[in-house]
Amino acid sequence: MTEAGPIWRRDFPYTSEGEDGVTRREFARFLVAASVAVAGGSGVVSLWASLRTINTGAPRRVVSLDQVSVGDSYLFRYPTENDPAILIRHDDETILGFSQKCTHLGCVVFWAPAEQHFECPCHEGIFNLSGEPTAGPPERPLGRIEMEVRDGDIWALGANEDAT
Amino acid sequence: MRRRRTQVSSAVLVYVILFLTLQLFLLAVAAEGFLAGEVGLAWSATAISTVLAVMSVLFYRFLPTRD
Repeated sequence: MTEAGPIWRRDFPYTSEGEDGVTRREFARFLVAASVAVAGGSGVVSLWASLRTINTGAPRRVVSLDQVSVGDSYLFRYPTENDPAILIRHDDETILGFSQKCTHLGCVVFWAPAEQHFECPCHEGIFNLSGEPTAGPPERPLGRIEMEVRDGDIWALGANEDAT
Repeated sequence: MRRRRTQVSSAVLVYVILFLTLQLFLLAVAAEGFLAGEVGLAWSATAISTVLAVMSVLFYRFLPTRD
């Protein structure tokens, strides 16, 4: 440092208004205020998580049973039009319904019939036929949708909270 | 004496910055709890974050009045 100031000041002789006006105390005050604000933000997020109601959907017809062959999948939307879902016809009467949202980062999973599992193309997450994660980054199972066959039609009866 | 004050205020700033960094991580944890529907996780993160905020305020009180 010289009497004229630090050496870098000669190389970078620019100033901005008020740059010398912030004391350590003011900077610390700003940080403490940010700290309180972040704690408050966490509280808001937690409160929102506690108070929100999750739409698990009402029973509705999805597709005719004849349109889905055994071993095939069918894409639909449930419980709302913004929730992609997939059903698998495992055998004549067993229909399995899942949310298509990967539980890692929400990408849409697809059914790989040859491997008999769900795959997430984003990070190669794999879910088995029960929706349980078997490989890749996902740690939680796919959201389940309760399905039923009524009079030759496949119905979605309701989703668990993870499916929304 | 001035050097001592500078050391104290630097230490306080380092701690407060550390706390704030941890709190940002905890905010991400709370958001993850929100998205996963795990309310307990969100509240736990909030509780720890609140403790850190209180500690930040307490540390701020240690700051010398003049730099």
